[in-house]
Amino acid sequence: MPSLGFLPALIITIVFGIVFQLTGDWKMMLIAGALGALFVRRIRKAFLVGFLGVGIAWGLLFVYLVLTAQAMDVANFFIALLGLEGLGAVVIIISVLIGALLGGFGGILGRALYELIDEIISSRRGEAAQSSAAASKSPEGPSKE
Amino acid sequence: MPLGPLTGGLGIIQPIGGIFDNGTPDPGDQTISLPGLGANVEVIIDHLGIPHIYAATAKDAFMALGYMHAKDRLFQITMQTFVAAGRISEIVGAYAASSDRFYRTIGLARSAQETLDWLIANADSNPDVAASLEALDAEVDGINAFIHSLTSATLPIEFKILKYTPQEWSAVDLLTGAKMLGWGLSGGVYDFQRQWIRATVDNDTMYNDLFPDLMPYTVPIVQDQVNLSIAEYPLAPGGFPATENPGELMRPTIADEVVIAQDKLELLISTIDNVIKPLGDEMHIGSNNWAVNGSRSSTGMPILAGDPHLTLQAPSVWYEAHIVVPGVDGLDVTGTTFPGLPAVLIGHNDHLAYSFTNVGADVLDIFVEQLNPSNSSEYMYNGTYHAFVVHDESIYTREGNIIPFFVKESVHGPLIDSAEESYDSDEESEANLAMTWTGSGVTHELIAAGKFMKADNLTQFIDGMYWWDSPPQNCVYGDDSGNIAMLVVGRFPVRSGYTGEYPVTSLNDSVGMVSNIPYAYNPREINPARGFVQSANQRTIAPSQYGYTILGPQDNGYRGRRIFYLLQNDSSVTVADMKRFQADVVEVRAEVILPYLISAWDDAGNSNTTIADAVDLLRSWEYDMEPELEAPTIWLYLLDAIHYETFDELRTLDPLLPLSRTPILEKLITENNSYYFDDHTTTGTTETRDDVLVRSLFTALDKLAREWADEPDYKYGNRHIVYIEHLAGLTYIGGGPHRGGNTLNVAPGWTVTHGPSTRLVADLSNIGMSYMAYPGGQSGNMFSPHWDDNFNLWYAFDPVTKYYGYHILYFYATAAAFRTADTDDTLIERTIIFAP
Repeated sequence: MPSLGFLPALIITIVFGIVFQLTGDWKMMLIAGALGALFVRRIRKAFLVGFLGVGIAWGLLFVYLVLTAQAMDVANFFIALLGLEGLGAVVIIISVLIGALLGGFGGILGRALYELIDEIISSRRGEAAQSSAAASKSPEGPSKE
Repeated sequence: MPLGPLTGGLGIIQPIGGIFDNGTPDPGDQTISLPGLGANVEVIIDHLGIPHIYAATAKDAFMALGYMHAKDRLFQITMQTFVAAGRISEIVGAYAASSDRFYRTIGLARSAQETLDWLIANADSNPDVAASLEALDAEVDGINAFIHSLTSATLPIEFKILKYTPQEWSAVDLLTGAKMLGWGLSGGVYDFQRQWIRATVDNDTMYNDLFPDLMPYTVPIVQDQVNLSIAEYPLAPGGFPATENPGELMRPTIADEVVIAQDKLELLISTIDNVIKPLGDEMHIGSNNWAVNGSRSSTGMPILAGDPHLTLQAPSVWYEAHIVVPGVDGLDVTGTTFPGLPAVLIGHNDHLAYSFTNVGADVLDIFVEQLNPSNSSEYMYNGTYHAFVVHDESIYTREGNIIPFFVKESVHGPLIDSAEESYDSDEESEANLAMTWTGSGVTHELIAAGKFMKADNLTQFIDGMYWWDSPPQNCVYGDDSGNIAMLVVGRFPVRSGYTGEYPVTSLNDSVGMVSNIPYAYNPREINPARGFVQSANQRTIAPSQYGYTILGPQDNGYRGRRIFYLLQNDSSVTVADMKRFQADVVEVRAEVILPYLISAWDDAGNSNTTIADAVDLLRSWEYDMEPELEAPTIWLYLLDAIHYETFDELRTLDPLLPLSRTPILEKLITENNSYYFDDHTTTGTTETRDDVLVRSLFTALDKLAREWADEPDYKYGNRHIVYIEHLAGLTYIGGGPHRGGNTLNVAPGWTVTHGPSTRLVADLSNIGMSYMAYPGGQSGNMFSPHWDDNFNLWYAFDPVTKYYGYHILYFYATAAAFRTADTDDTLIERTIIFAP
C-alpha cells in the first residue's frame, strides 16, 4: 500500500471506524485501526493513526447520539449504577478512550503484521533471486543481495 | 434483583450496539411487516403511547397487540414469565435458584402446559375455545415478530446489561404468565400460618376470640343474592363438577389435623415469604370496585369505578390498549391488558364496563401424605401405596451449570416442601406436604376474557364469566341498558371431611375438595334495590345467608365500610364524585377507635402537656391521611401501640405472633372486653380499657419521638412516600410525599410500594368519555417520554377538585374518526401500519 501522509490515513481510519461501528461489533475497531495503518510506515504513526482515528470516529458518533438519542441521560444513568451521580460525560469520555485504544492497538498489530508479511515476501524473493543468480553464475563468486 | 452494571461485558460502552443508543426516540409513522397477518392493521398511538389497534379480524388485532406488548415491555414479559416458570437463573445466575425451586415445585409451567393441551384438544368442538387459542397464537406470533426485528436501539437496555439475548416465545410461555397472575392473587398458603398461630397460642378459646375467620363489623359484598338457573348452568365455573347439596357431601370432620413440627412450619412459612413475588404480597393485594345505577347517579345511567391494587412496579403490571375489530362478532374494547396476554382485563367495551377485586378466599389446601416407611417414594391412598409422580425440574443457570431438582406429585398435587433445601427437624426428612390449589392444572380464564370483551349485555357477560374459574374475583359490571351487577366469579371448592383451615391427611376420596359451588349459585347481586354495588376484598357473603362455605381470611373490611357509607349517602353521584371517592383518604379505623381514646384521656385527667397537645391534634383531626398533617403520623404509631398494649397475651407467647387484626381490636374496644384489656403481665393490678388506651398514648409518643428525632416535625409526608422500583432495581419512579394509608386510596406502610395499579371511572351514559390513569407509563424504556407520563397524571392530586389526574380513554370506532377528532394534532403521536 502506498504511504500516504498521516492526515489522509487518519481520515481513512475515521471513515472506516464510523462505518464498521455501525455493525455494533467493537472488535471491528481493531480492523479499522489496522486498515489505517496500511498507509503509514512507522509503528509510532500506526498507533497514532489508529488511536486518533477511532477516537474521533467514536467521538463523532457520541456527539450524534447525545444530540439525537439522549446519550447523556443514558450515560448518567449508567454511572449512577456504579454509585456516582451526574458524571455521564465521564462515561462517554472513557468509552471514547477505550475505543481509541482499540484502534491504536489495531494499528500497531496491523503495522507489525504488514512488516512481517513484507519480510516473508522479500526474503522469498531474495532467495529466489539468489538461487536464480547463483544458477546463472559460477559456483564461486560473491553473492549479491 | 441486583445487576452489576458491567455484567454484559465491555461491549455495552460502544456508541452503536451498546447502551447509548437506547435513548433513541421512536421514529415517526412507520410501516412494519408482520408475516401472517390477513390484512393491514392500522395502529394509532396516542400522546400517552397507548396503541389503538384497528384490524379486520381478531387474529390480526392480537398479533399487533403482541408486537406492541413486546416492543414496549419485552424485558418485563421475560422476567415475569421466567420467574413464573422457574427459569430466572438462566438470566440472572444461580443465586436465584431458590426462587426457581419454588416456582418449579408449585408447577405453574406444568399447569400452563396442561391448559394449553386442553385448549388444543377442545378447539375443534368449541368455537369459544378455538377463538381463545387463536388469540393466544396470534399474540405469540406478534411477540416473536418483534424479537426477530430487534436492533441495538430497540433491544431493552436491561438485556444489554445482562448480556441476555431474548429467545422465541411459545404459547405455553404466555399461559405461564397468566398462571403467575392467578398465583399472585389466590395462591396464598394460609394453612401453615394458621396452624403455627394456633399451636403457638395453644388455647382454643383465645384462638377463636383473637383469630376468627369472619371479621366483625364487616359489610359483606353480596347481600341480595341472585341465583341463575341451575338447569342452564348445572356445573361449576370452567365446567368442573358441582353439587347442589353440599351438606350431603360434607362429612363431619373425620380427617385428623396433622401437626407439623414447629421448626418445619417456620421454615416453610419463611421459604414461601422469601420467594420473589412479582405481583406483591397476597396480604397486601386488594382492590376496590363499585358502581351506581341510574337511581343514584346524576346521569340517570350507571357509573362504574375500579382500582385494582397490586405491587407498584416500573414498568407497570398493566399496559393500556384499545382494540377495534368491526363486524357482528367484532370487538371494541379498551382498558388495561396484562402484557403477554390477549385480553383487556380492566376497562370497557362499546356497551359495558368491568373491573375486578380479589376475593381473597382460601383455595389452597395442604395434605400431609403418609409415606411408605420402607419406600419414601410411595404414599398411602385408597388402601394401597402409590408411587409419587416425579417431575424432572432441573434448573439451568446462566453460568452454564445444571442444578438437579425433582418435584414429587401425589394425587393431591405437588409436594410443596420439595422447595426447601434442608431443615433441622429430625423426623420427616422426606417431602410429604401436597398442595391442592384451584389454579393448578387446566383453567379457563382466557376463554372467559375472550367472551366478556365481546359481550353486549348482561346475559352475554354472565355467560362468558361461566368460564372464569381461577382466580376467584369480584367483578363489578355496568352497562348502557342501565344494569349494574357484582358477580363473584371463580371456582370455589366444596370440602369434605375437613375444613380447609389446617393441613390434614387424606387417605381416600372422601377427604378433599370433592366438588365445587355450581356457577348458578356463585354469589352475585344484579340491580339491587339500594342502587349500588361495592367490593373491597371483604367477606363475600354473610355465612348465615349462604348454603356453601367460602373460607377466608378476607380483608378487614374498612374500605368496604367506607365505600358503602359514601355511596349510601350520595343520592346523585357524579363522575367527579367517583373520582373523589377513589382519592378518599379517610381512616375508618381512626374514626371508630379515636373517640374512645380521646374520652379515655379526658377522663384520666393526666397533666402531661406533650400528650395533651397530641390529643388535641387528634381531637380536631378529620381522619384524613394527608401528607401535610401530623395527626396521621401520630395515629399510626398510636394504633401500633394500642395493638401492642392490648395483646400482651399474644406477644408474651412468641414475639413472632401477629397481633390480632384491627376489627378484633375494634370489637374489644367497643364492647369493653375486660379480659383482654387486663395486662396479664402485671399481677396484682387489673387494667381497664381506658387504662390501656391512655398507656398506649405514652408508648406511641415515646416511640415516635425516638424514631423521628431527626425530622423537623411529624408531618406524615416526611416519610410517607410513594416509591416505584424498576423490576431489576436499576431506577425508580416517584419518591415524593403520598396521600392515604389504609384508606380507599390505598397506600400502606411508610415507603409505599403497593397501591392502585390503575384507576378506571366509566361513564355508561357516555361511554366514550371514560377515564383511566396508572402509575407508570406505556414504555419499559426508561429514556422514553412514555416511561412515567401516566404516573404523573396518577400522582397529581388537585386540592381544588379533590381528585387525581386521569386521561380520557379515547374510544373512536374507526381510525378515520380518531384522526378527524384530532383537530389540533395533540391527541395522536404517530401511526404504525402493520402489513402482512
